[in-house]
Amino acid sequence: MRLSTLTLLAAWSSVSIAGADFSVDAETGLATWQAESGAIQVRLTQISPDQARGFYQARGFSATAAERYAAECIFMTVVRNIGETPIQHRLADWRYEPAGQPPRAIRSKVEWERIWKRQGVNEAARIAFNWAQFPAAQTFAPGDWNQGMTTYSVPRNGQFDLRFVWRADGKTHSGKLEQVRCANETS
Amino acid sequence: MKRLDRIAGMLLGTALIFGIPATTGAHAADLPPLSHSLMKQAPKPAPALKLKDIDGATHDLAKLRGKVVLINFWATWCPPCRREMPSMERLSQALKGEAFAVLAVDVGEDADTIHAFTSQLDTALHFPILLDSTSRAMQAWKVAGLPTTFLVDKQGRIVASAIGGREFDHPDMVKAIRDVMGK
Repeated sequence: MRLSTLTLLAAWSSVSIAGADFSVDAETGLATWQAESGAIQVRLTQISPDQARGFYQARGFSATAAERYAAECIFMTVVRNIGETPIQHRLADWRYEPAGQPPRAIRSKVEWERIWKRQGVNEAARIAFNWAQFPAAQTFAPGDWNQGMTTYSVPRNGQFDLRFVWRADGKTHSGKLEQVRCANETS
Repeated sequence: MKRLDRIAGMLLGTALIFGIPATTGAHAADLPPLSHSLMKQAPKPAPALKLKDIDGATHDLAKLRGKVVLINFWATWCPPCRREMPSMERLSQALKGEAFAVLAVDVGEDADTIHAFTSQLDTALHFPILLDSTSRAMQAWKVAGLPTTFLVDKQGRIVASAIGGREFDHPDMVKAIRDVMGK
């Protein structure tokens, strides 16, 4: 499992559709969606269940706790300020919408912390988890970018749309990534 | 064996979070480039920072008054952190002997994990790597994500910051730092 994960470095194919990019790693089959809207660039790359299990077990999670996380639909999320003025984001403002279902908020780090404490995950592992997730709120100067994991309660291979929200120049803006698909168990 | 497991875990994490292709063409799968800007801010007193480094020596920011200090919060599993590290060493060497210091603060990892990473680099790191094993320093500095970098002036005030990876020895960065050193 680990060796296969280490072979993520591979050739990609990509297409652009109406301001959004989609690409697939030819070797792993993991997909990336990217949208640019105004001053923000948002990118979601699938993380496979096996990758999630391996990552957190290597950081002190029990198999059970790692499995709980891997049961989610997980993406490496990158946000970048591609504009000329600072932007602010608050993950609590973002909404994802699985097909035919109402919009939902992304589970926060605070909620995850409660889950991990209930499961007896040790402090060092919880710290690693906390910093591996996408920040709850940040201000990005022009050129700034950051990354972290975000999770969605969507079944394997399920689809959803993600509405991302940011503020710039005192105004609230939003954009959308459409038909984002969760990784398969075998990705 | 334990050390090998840690290295495997670290590599796994790196590959997992990197998710970058070997190809260099710019498209959705590439991570953004390292940028070279510092966001200036109104000077404000820096929080305390007193931590042990990976060799057990204690470093106290308060004792570096009179120097401009670049403080970088990072972790080995954080791809932009790893990418920017060699440029931080080059910056440190470029300003060696001047009123300047670099402190890299690792969050939540142990010395073995950090050594496993630094030993893979082509560049030996000569600046101190401090251990914020409980992440309390990061909380005190209100760091929301990694990497985050602060520039502290000779009076112990935060005067600039950067979120995300930087090419620290880029001429723009060196000039910004020298400007602060000259004040």
